Amino acid sequence: MTATRNQAYAHLSRWILLVLLGLYTIYNLGPILWLMISSLKSRADLFAMPPKLVFEPDFSGYQSVFGVGAARDSASSVGVFDSLMTSVFVSTVGTTVAVFLGTLAGYVCSRFEFRGKGDFMFFVLSTRMLPPVAVLVFYHMMFARLGLADTWLGLVLIAVFVNVGLATWIMKGFFDGVPKEVEQIAIVNGYSRIYAFLRLVLPMVKGGIAATAGFCFIFAWNEFAFASILTTTRAKTLPVKISTASGATGIEWTQICAAGVVLIIPVLVFFYLIRRHLLMGMTFGVLGRR
Amino acid sequence: MDTALKPRSTGRLMIVGFLSPTVLLLLFMVAYPIFSLVHYSFYNFSALNPDKGMDWAGLSNYEYLLSDSGIWKRFVFTGKFVFLCVTMQMILGIFVGYRLQKTFRGRDLLFTALMLPMMLSPVVAGFLWRYMLNSEWGVVNFLVSLFGFAKVDWLGQAGPALWAAAVVDTWMWTPFIILLATAAFRGIPETIYEAAEVDGASAAYVFFRITLPMSAPVLFIALILRLIDSFKQYDLFVALTGGGPGSSTETVSFAVAKTAFSYFYTGEASALAVILLCIIMGLAMILVRHLSNMGARH
Repeated sequence: MTATRNQAYAHLSRWILLVLLGLYTIYNLGPILWLMISSLKSRADLFAMPPKLVFEPDFSGYQSVFGVGAARDSASSVGVFDSLMTSVFVSTVGTTVAVFLGTLAGYVCSRFEFRGKGDFMFFVLSTRMLPPVAVLVFYHMMFARLGLADTWLGLVLIAVFVNVGLATWIMKGFFDGVPKEVEQIAIVNGYSRIYAFLRLVLPMVKGGIAATAGFCFIFAWNEFAFASILTTTRAKTLPVKISTASGATGIEWTQICAAGVVLIIPVLVFFYLIRRHLLMGMTFGVLGRR
Repeated sequence: MDTALKPRSTGRLMIVGFLSPTVLLLLFMVAYPIFSLVHYSFYNFSALNPDKGMDWAGLSNYEYLLSDSGIWKRFVFTGKFVFLCVTMQMILGIFVGYRLQKTFRGRDLLFTALMLPMMLSPVVAGFLWRYMLNSEWGVVNFLVSLFGFAKVDWLGQAGPALWAAAVVDTWMWTPFIILLATAAFRGIPETIYEAAEVDGASAAYVFFRITLPMSAPVLFIALILRLIDSFKQYDLFVALTGGGPGSSTETVSFAVAKTAFSYFYTGEASALAVILLCIIMGLAMILVRHLSNMGARH
């Protein structure tokens, strides 16, 4: 008697849990789907109530983001394509430099014991905690004085700074996964430490470097707080540009939805690259070290 | 002697050569700004006309901030926001993470897909939800009206705007809790569950008396990281509410930015930034101590 009641109870709770998981999935993924659908709507369909699920696709949002077609000459799309190019350039260069520096620093932290190493690692970790607006009060003046305000160079510096700590920690994790015997054997055989690092160890962490680059690119690509305060006209990134896309006619929703999708696509690509290392990347290498 | 020295000296050269670019960059971008920030916080001055010079103000910037009701309002709002969104994220994330422990077809794909929101730009997230939460034509109010409720002006009133912001932050960051929770749950030895099953423990007992306590160290890391990140939240509010209606959804970070870059009260903004930094540092210290405790135990 009690056994069957327990069974029925277990059955019921299983179904409730499943329904809740389904609801959460809708809450989680629905908005992203909705953005993709909305980005293909014309201005009129965008504001239709009830919302339309069947509509004639309209690409004016994308035209204005890429600066092509009829939307090119509309006042609201001026400079949007430039900002996309700024984002691409800054994220790419910033990622490259950050991964380069992080690889070097991560290798040293993985292989050598030296005075102040713990302090250095904590210092690096602190960049993950730092509230951007706090240092921005100072950067705002410093960038103006150094001529870095509103320039690509300044944004690259920010992209490197935001990511170098993360890159160091993640790369240290990947180097930790390579046995120290690799270098020991190389040195015994008369090769230099540098040779062992460049020719033996680096090729073994290729995958790690790619994953690190994936993380850095996503964070550089999404970076908003620094770019929004430190740029005014010439060097706006795409996230900054769309945040100021409210013109005389109100917020340019067709453009924002399309820009949103354009901003998501590279994230999807790089996300695929890093999916196995998410735990490590999102916790700054604190967890999920392999 | 020469050969004995050689590896050690190249090692030292490597440490210096490989580390110094990063150290210099971080000194320049973190240590120097924070030092300057503390320095500025004792002066009356404005970045708008730096040539006018800096007047020594002693602690008056801090005194002003601590007595200003507007600042307290922002701390209270930030506190409410942090409490709401972190509570929701933790509960949802632990629940979904627990459910995802069971194997079913397509689980790994679902897990990966569910991670997506946290990788998006907070600006995109903010605008996307602002679009969906529009009181006239937003899809959220459409769903609300489908269920027969009256439409809500989500972002036009202080109370609903707080909830809306918390729901958006929860949307973005529950995946983070799921990620850490599943990792923590996976680390619990199977034998413990088997023993519990033999003893005839109920599912609820197993969850609350075994799963949760045993994954607490990792969940604590998740909690602190989320406290830090939501406390300094800035981007989301710029995109979602712009701090409005009025100034009702301005976080402490938002207030720092407004004081520094709209009013150009640089000294005052620096003092507020120092207070913000101290709070974040306090949380970071708790995290670091916890991490070293965890490391010592393993």
